[in-house]
Amino acid sequence: MTTLLMILVLAIGVYLLAVLEHWISNGRFQFSAPAYSAIALLGRESVVPRKPDLLFFEVGPVLLLITALLAAAVIPLSPDLIITDLATGALFLNAALAYILVALIMAGWGPNGAYAMIGGWRFLGQLVAYAMLVVMPITAVAMRAESLMTTDIVISQAGLWNIFYQPLGFILFFIAAMGLAFLPPFDLPTAEGEIAGGVEAEYSGVRLAIFRLGRLVLIITLAGATVTFYLGGWNGPWLPPWMWSAIKILGVAAVMLLIGRYVPRIREAHLLAWCWKAGIPLALLNIFIVGVLLVEYP
Amino acid sequence: MITGQAIFIGFFGLATVWFGIVVFRTFSMVRSAIALLFSQTALGAMFLTMQAEFLGVLQIMMMATEMSVMAIFMVMFMMDPGGMGEMDMSHQKRLSLIAGFVSFVGAVAVAVFIDWGPVTITVVDTAKQTEALGLELLGRSMLIFETAGITILTAMIAATAVAIKPVPLTVNNSTTGDLPVGDFPVDSLPTNSLPAQKEDKAK
Repeated sequence: MTTLLMILVLAIGVYLLAVLEHWISNGRFQFSAPAYSAIALLGRESVVPRKPDLLFFEVGPVLLLITALLAAAVIPLSPDLIITDLATGALFLNAALAYILVALIMAGWGPNGAYAMIGGWRFLGQLVAYAMLVVMPITAVAMRAESLMTTDIVISQAGLWNIFYQPLGFILFFIAAMGLAFLPPFDLPTAEGEIAGGVEAEYSGVRLAIFRLGRLVLIITLAGATVTFYLGGWNGPWLPPWMWSAIKILGVAAVMLLIGRYVPRIREAHLLAWCWKAGIPLALLNIFIVGVLLVEYP
Repeated sequence: MITGQAIFIGFFGLATVWFGIVVFRTFSMVRSAIALLFSQTALGAMFLTMQAEFLGVLQIMMMATEMSVMAIFMVMFMMDPGGMGEMDMSHQKRLSLIAGFVSFVGAVAVAVFIDWGPVTITVVDTAKQTEALGLELLGRSMLIFETAGITILTAMIAATAVAIKPVPLTVNNSTTGDLPVGDFPVDSLPTNSLPAQKEDKAK
């Protein structure tokens, strides 16, 4: 029952996010825009390129969607509204999200196209940059909660949200999450101006619709993870818990989309250099600071 | 008695073996790497079925990245990465057959003849498992794991050092710290580091 409810909530969330995306990119608020886009995509022919690796070509977009959904399974919207409250929730989220890379490599390799393949391998480079910045801030979050359970992590922030307790970790995680969702300015695997859509380039019709849907679910999931780890999850006055979660998740997703509108696309080499030379030392510093805070002010 | 757990362990076990076989049955390097990944993922799922949640999730997480990195290395080094030329890259078939058979017999012998001690009937709580694992890693097994970590780090640094194109420290007779690294036009190199060019100039 909870699972069905969560999938319904996710579907609504994805639709609202698509409306937001359309609003931010076109500057016009149009509630029916995603529906029209979906109808247009589903109505078009889904072209299969010449000599594809058909298995990869078909599995790539589906795997993207499944992975994003699996990761969403451990995001709590309220104390009871969670698909599965795993004892290793925070780690499970990482495990599921690691397969975004596999999905993109498969989708890049499958169509037998140069741009798509470059896009897929680019994301591997991108993962080398952001992966540590996802895991290390989560470590500091788990340290404070003394648990990997996502519900425990939210409960640990009842007094003070992690965004105030460990702001450095929040900034790093937020950047890494945007990198993971390949949102602009980190849209290297699908960069339109450079590699003509990259991984998305050879997909059309229903397969492209699944790819885009997977991407939207991924953004919602990552916004959910940010809210769970740093913005106090369902905590908040007056409104019911699930509503607080929904408002925060959509807010974070909107900020993620808005940033991409104003920041130019980063270069792969710069991303790697900055993440490893600045990001990882800062993430270690964050773990150290949180450790000291936990010992000094338990 | 066959329980649901046993059925799932069997299923994921077969999946592990099947994907392992697929690794060698395909000509495509990327398919091969991804098949190995799913073999390892199925192994992680076996851990999950045996209620070793932390180990299972960790296995599933680590393998995704590692096998993907392996895939790009295989694409870089192999002559026919897509397998579209159907180039046979197998060799030393008799040796591999013997080695594979001996390892298989060895593994089965270990599984059958070792005294595994009493079978645990009840599984401790996952949080307790994770805690016990942490205490083990920072206690008795610390030296082993730290040594392994340092070894991997050393190998990574060594591999990077080997892969970087050597760049002379002096450019245009000035010692500068910020030298270009990676791909850059040959012209930007000092002429004395390129024997071929030097010869041209001598002419």
